[in-house]
Amino acid sequence: MIKKIKASISEKIILIFLISLGIATFGTYFVIKNECLFVKNFDPKKITFVKPNNIAIMNAPCGNVIIELYPNVSPKGVERFMSLIRSNAYENIAFHRVIKDKLVQAGDLEFGKKGSLNYGKIGNGKSGFGTIKSEIDSGFNYTEGSVGLVRTFKNDTEDSQFFITLQDEPLFEGEYTPVGKVLYGIEVLKKIKNQRNSEYVLRPDFINSFKMLN
Amino acid sequence: MNIIRAILLSIILITPVKANTIYNLIKIPNLEIYEINTKNKLKYFYAARPFRLGTQKNVVCSNPSKKDLEIKYKTIYKNLSRYSYNFLKRINLKYIVMCENLSISELYTAGIPDNIMKTLILDIKFNEDYFERVIHHEIFHIIYLQHKKIFSDKEWIKFNNPKFKYAECSTCTKDIGLERYEETKGFFTEYSKSTASEDMAEVYSHMISLKKEEINQISNIDPVLNNKISYIKDKIKQIDNSFIF
Repeated sequence: MIKKIKASISEKIILIFLISLGIATFGTYFVIKNECLFVKNFDPKKITFVKPNNIAIMNAPCGNVIIELYPNVSPKGVERFMSLIRSNAYENIAFHRVIKDKLVQAGDLEFGKKGSLNYGKIGNGKSGFGTIKSEIDSGFNYTEGSVGLVRTFKNDTEDSQFFITLQDEPLFEGEYTPVGKVLYGIEVLKKIKNQRNSEYVLRPDFINSFKMLN
Repeated sequence: MNIIRAILLSIILITPVKANTIYNLIKIPNLEIYEINTKNKLKYFYAARPFRLGTQKNVVCSNPSKKDLEIKYKTIYKNLSRYSYNFLKRINLKYIVMCENLSISELYTAGIPDNIMKTLILDIKFNEDYFERVIHHEIFHIIYLQHKKIFSDKEWIKFNNPKFKYAECSTCTKDIGLERYEETKGFFTEYSKSTASEDMAEVYSHMISLKKEEINQISNIDPVLNNKISYIKDKIKQIDNSFIF
């Protein structure tokens, strides 16, 4: 006859500990793997906008980034930015330059396209529409979530590349053409892949889609 | 204790980010913000640590002490506040870098103007007697560099006695005195005689620093300087008609 052996209290504690450890390990794995787990994804359809015609929605790996464009601040800059959004030019374009908690940069249509990334030239590509004049006299305040057009060292060299600030950047005022501000989804941008020792990202994240609301 | 540690850590973590922003804008390392909220939108930086610039790393400047910086900033700010935002925009000047013992290839200099990077580096330890005037001298170099087409060295040289010749370059002469001549004879200082553009900068800086009556008096006595003063006035007015000397 087999005698039923009862587990001692210490054995029970060890068992509970091992089970909890297993759950924690399993859970942590998913939390680490899914970096977007705690990032809220905003649905633009559920939000009422004061100026819906100026709203652009960028979809990045962790969700939507809702941007209000400011045609009154930079008419030419916004016109260019909006026309590229409407032509879906930014789809599958890399966030090629990312400085953690500082800024993300994308929009190289020539060398930043998914499938034909050119790491040697990325950041120097052109849109084919030519450059536009800098609009830097508005006194625009570059706070967190500001969207500006990238230029070379010279003014009037803005094209298709843009950046979004992840922190306040008072020194950008009067330097870069502002085109808008992030209304919702700044956390999505903070999850864009960055490289610890370099501003330029190897195997970068991409813009899934970028569309105007209307 | 932990709070102090946290504050220290946050300073250490925040500072390089600011420095990187400045570096990205004007390509000078080791700078930090001194003041950026000014009426004419000039942004003042200071060297937090020594820096070297240029492909040969021949431009060198050290970090000043807090006390020196405090004193000299007030002087620099006062002098540069006379320039309007519109004027500064036209001459492409936005950033002022304050440091100590500025030198190019081991030759000490008061300032280094760089209109491309919209930057003027100033040595705050430069000779106290001429410090304020020298700020305007360096401003003129920015004006000159940004509006090269307006200024003509050939026209300028014609104002001088035909027998007079400038040196080959501003550092090619040992005559670099900045003290104003009692008897001007076409030149404000010894340094005026180095090159045409330095002469222009000396005339301009005196026009800014001296009282209107003094300038008028000099113009009445010295016909060469009278021509030079009129020339500078005319050219500056071409850049900004609202400019007041």
